[in-house]
Amino acid sequence: MKEKINEIEKQFDEDSKNIADLSSLEELRLAYLGKKGKITDLMTYFRVVPAELKKEMGMLVNNLKNHIEESIAEFKQKLADKAVQEEINRAKPFDITLPVDTGVGSLHPRTIIQKQVVDIFSSMGFIIEDGNEIETEYNNFIAVNVPETHPARDMQDTFWLDNGEVLKTQTSAAQNRILRTYGPKCKVLFPGRCFRNEAIDASHENTFFQIEGVVVDENVSVANLIYFMKKMLNGVFKKDINVRLRPGYFPFTEPSFELDASCPFCGGKGCSTCGNSGWIELCPCGMIHPNVLKIAGVDPEKYNGFAFGLGMDRLVMIKSGLDDIRHLNAGEVKLLRQFKTKIN
Amino acid sequence: MKISLNWIKDYVDLSGIETDEIVKRFNLSTAEIEEVEYMGAKTHGVVFGKILEVKPHPTNAHWHILKVDIGTKTLQIVCGAPNVREGMVTCVATDGGCVNGFKISVAKRGDIDSEGMCCSSAELGIGSDNDGIMDLVGDYPIGTDIKEYWPVDDIILEIDNKTLTNRPDLWGHYGMAREFAVIFDRPLKKIDVADLSRYNALKKISIENKSKNCYRYSAISAENITVKKSPDFMKIRLTYCGMRDINLLADLTNYVMMDVGLPMHAFDNNVVKGIKVVDSHEGTKMLTLEGEEHTLPENAVTICDQGGEPVAIAGVKGGLKSGISDSTTSVLFEAAVFNSTAIRKTSRKIGLVTDASIRYEKSLDPEKTTLALSRMIKLLCDIDSGAKVTSALSDSYDYHYPKLSIEISPKFISNIVGENLEEERVVKILTGLGFDVKTSKNGLVVGVPSWRATKDVSIKEDLVEEVARMFGYDNIEPKPLKFEAVPVALKRDVLLEYESKKYLAEKYGATEVHSYIWNYKDFCEKHKIEHPSYIKLMDSSNSGQDSIRSKLAPTMLKFFEENRNSLDDIRIFEIGRVVTGLDEQKLAIEKKHLAVLLASQTDSEEKLFNEAKKIVVDLAKTVVGLDVNLKRGETSSYYHPVNSARVVSRTDDFGEMGILHPTVKKSIDKRFNVCLIELDFGKLAAAPVYYKKPKMLSKYQQVNMDFNFLVDKKLSYGEFESTLSKYRNKISNGFELVDIYEDDSLGDRKSITVRFELGSFDHTLSGEEIEKFRGELIAHASKNNIILR
Repeated sequence: MKEKINEIEKQFDEDSKNIADLSSLEELRLAYLGKKGKITDLMTYFRVVPAELKKEMGMLVNNLKNHIEESIAEFKQKLADKAVQEEINRAKPFDITLPVDTGVGSLHPRTIIQKQVVDIFSSMGFIIEDGNEIETEYNNFIAVNVPETHPARDMQDTFWLDNGEVLKTQTSAAQNRILRTYGPKCKVLFPGRCFRNEAIDASHENTFFQIEGVVVDENVSVANLIYFMKKMLNGVFKKDINVRLRPGYFPFTEPSFELDASCPFCGGKGCSTCGNSGWIELCPCGMIHPNVLKIAGVDPEKYNGFAFGLGMDRLVMIKSGLDDIRHLNAGEVKLLRQFKTKIN
Repeated sequence: MKISLNWIKDYVDLSGIETDEIVKRFNLSTAEIEEVEYMGAKTHGVVFGKILEVKPHPTNAHWHILKVDIGTKTLQIVCGAPNVREGMVTCVATDGGCVNGFKISVAKRGDIDSEGMCCSSAELGIGSDNDGIMDLVGDYPIGTDIKEYWPVDDIILEIDNKTLTNRPDLWGHYGMAREFAVIFDRPLKKIDVADLSRYNALKKISIENKSKNCYRYSAISAENITVKKSPDFMKIRLTYCGMRDINLLADLTNYVMMDVGLPMHAFDNNVVKGIKVVDSHEGTKMLTLEGEEHTLPENAVTICDQGGEPVAIAGVKGGLKSGISDSTTSVLFEAAVFNSTAIRKTSRKIGLVTDASIRYEKSLDPEKTTLALSRMIKLLCDIDSGAKVTSALSDSYDYHYPKLSIEISPKFISNIVGENLEEERVVKILTGLGFDVKTSKNGLVVGVPSWRATKDVSIKEDLVEEVARMFGYDNIEPKPLKFEAVPVALKRDVLLEYESKKYLAEKYGATEVHSYIWNYKDFCEKHKIEHPSYIKLMDSSNSGQDSIRSKLAPTMLKFFEENRNSLDDIRIFEIGRVVTGLDEQKLAIEKKHLAVLLASQTDSEEKLFNEAKKIVVDLAKTVVGLDVNLKRGETSSYYHPVNSARVVSRTDDFGEMGILHPTVKKSIDKRFNVCLIELDFGKLAAAPVYYKKPKMLSKYQQVNMDFNFLVDKKLSYGEFESTLSKYRNKISNGFELVDIYEDDSLGDRKSITVRFELGSFDHTLSGEEIEKFRGELIAHASKNNIILR
């Protein structure tokens, strides 16, 4: 009996070497574990085994059966693995370098940059407002302290309309309404489109965008103005930008400043963007003229504030890399659609 | 304006300060320096020489061979100047030298060795004469480098005129010098002038002022002027400051202007003996110094002689007949101040902008006239010792600016600046700038000097600027602002504007464009596109583009036309302003519109239309939260009369959309199918949004059931839907469209497949319930000519 068991085990190990696929494995299984298989066969011998050896022989038979079952399972797994591997080997490699069409269009670069500026000021608690493009002479000039004799009120510089209104020459035209709506304590940002009656060239447009901001409260200082401008420019350029003020003159503010930003490209060393000066003129600003506050019903003895008019188009050109301002109003789809919806 | 640092140094000692520092501080404290020019830097090795011999050149009839004594030796020089003569003293550039960047070396000129170059004043960059080499009369040290004798080396600062707009005091060197004195804390020297009171006994010149725009007219006369040429230093300074040297009297008027900042004029005293200032009649003619005739507008301030003959356009230009020439020996000097706006208007109207007019536009100080005349007489008598003053200072001073005095405290200044400014510092700065500062119990009482009181400084805040700019804006530390934390109002249409743009770009692949606010008349007329306008630009220099648009669509079509040759498919949009009418006060009714244009060479018009409808419905629903639909109705004439529609909600009309009218389509480009959308974005963004609670889901099983109906081909889905919806049954949760099918085999009918959802909240539906629903629905449909297929 014992020999028989050993012989079957040897035979199995020998037979199993020839397993190539699932069907030969099944044949093998039937040959050993099937109804007429060798293990079933062995049971006929078992009956004649003396009772004292039955326990031992039973164990041996069982061991053999387990061995065969496990081996077959193992073969089965190996065959399955092999089949998967073959399937993988047969797979056609995709071309992972193919271009994709996201179908995404584009925002105008002004919209993208404006959103960046708006987000920065929103985060600092500014109300975001809006203004008309056609304004009365009162709002555009008188309410912001531009005297009757100022050259800006001549035909040459301003688009006057046949009903006596004007295409607004600066975003400050909305100041009066905004101060009356939100004043005297307020922080408001209002982007808008402005117009000047002048010849167009690579750096001059008759239609351009500004972003105006006003802050009115008690005890507002030039130091506060510098702070906000610096925070805004740091946010827009995503790096530490220095700002400097130079004397300027605008009727709506007193004192008035020209604000320069240190060139974000050369860090102030001088390059082609900043005309080798290290500085970029970006933003006329100043402390709101007491007359402007008074006209808007704000007591200039109690409150003061600052205002700025960021030259959006200049900022857009610097950030987008466009070299001619005329592109901004030209509707050149092939150019514009390269911007997608983000600019760093 | 160009200013000379040599000139500035007449009045303030800037020794020991680097040019870079001078430029930087001036930029930050006063005005913008656009350019720094280092005059004389490219000139060296030029000496005074004397021509000993002049011989003809063998091959070039225009040239001469000169022997020139330059002290150490005699040079042979071939010279092409026509004015050479023996005994002439001139400037000689020697071998290895440099004339304004042009290198000099020994060379052959027509086979003759030339060992240097005789120079004209223009070649050296120190004068305007280029007709011949310099012909120096006087005692010049032969062999000496001209730089040792003349102030050829100078630094010229070109100041941006725009930044001086509000500073009438900075249009001459003395005013500029005051700024430098305060910036660098150095004393300002007094300007050297003649004492005119010694001529008080002389007869006065008659001055009759009949113009309210002439604030002050001062004059003085002199005779026996024999010196014709200005001193070299004066010519050099004028040249460096961008003026031409002409003759002594003309140069003197320019020099005094550049010195004290007040334009001057010199009349020939033989022609002009007395002065009348009048406002012109329209059509008055004037022949100016340059020989150009100008017709004066009405009410231009005009200077006339004793007989009433116009001799100068006040503040702009002198007349030819009364002007000085090289032969003038007696002269009447004018120093006057006029109303700035009057001068600006005259200058603009006659199209003549001069050094004088740009200064007068800035509101000059009338106190300056006597300063200018006394400076003039001082310079004249120093240069021409024979010159004799022939009149007393004559003066008609008819408008005095009010004397201004401003109360201010250092604390007020400190609060606005955001830095602590001590009283001592404030007083020092203001005093340095010429303000008269007295202390009072509330702070300071500051008297404004006349040269700042014409418009520039009038309120406390103006003084803050004076102190702050001299303190240095770069010395102010940025400081955050403390604010009450209150919720910020969010403007819905501003938020939605960006969201809508992003939605159109990201989901629908459209490109945002920006266009102008006016109509393109030529384009619209060419393609027969209506472009109504309610308001026009007054200045029609903007040719053909003077009407303000009331719709965005025409501009979108223009962009389409411009892009159609570079792209097969175009999707663009804009949110922009239009004017849709005038209100009762004739003010513009301004609206914010949204326009989208879809153009394609491959997609059918119907496909584009359906895509556009999807955009409209999706945008309204997703971004705004509003249900909109299309409705037949009148649209602009560039739309297709049948396949265009109004965009409406249950209560409002927001605009229109549709494919192009065949005429417009063919006119622009028939290859393209085009669909347009134009909505009143402001109205859309402001529309009230109704929130619908979601339908709860039943825990019992729901059943979907499809029905395939045959209907008349002409029946719209909307009509079908509303008819079918009239059958109500509480087990129905409504239906949706699955498919619409049209085929010739169906004749004049089409097939519509819809899917009903059936269910109940309290039980699972029985077969009988469903069967009953089916039967009733079919019966209802067939009564309405909707037949189950």
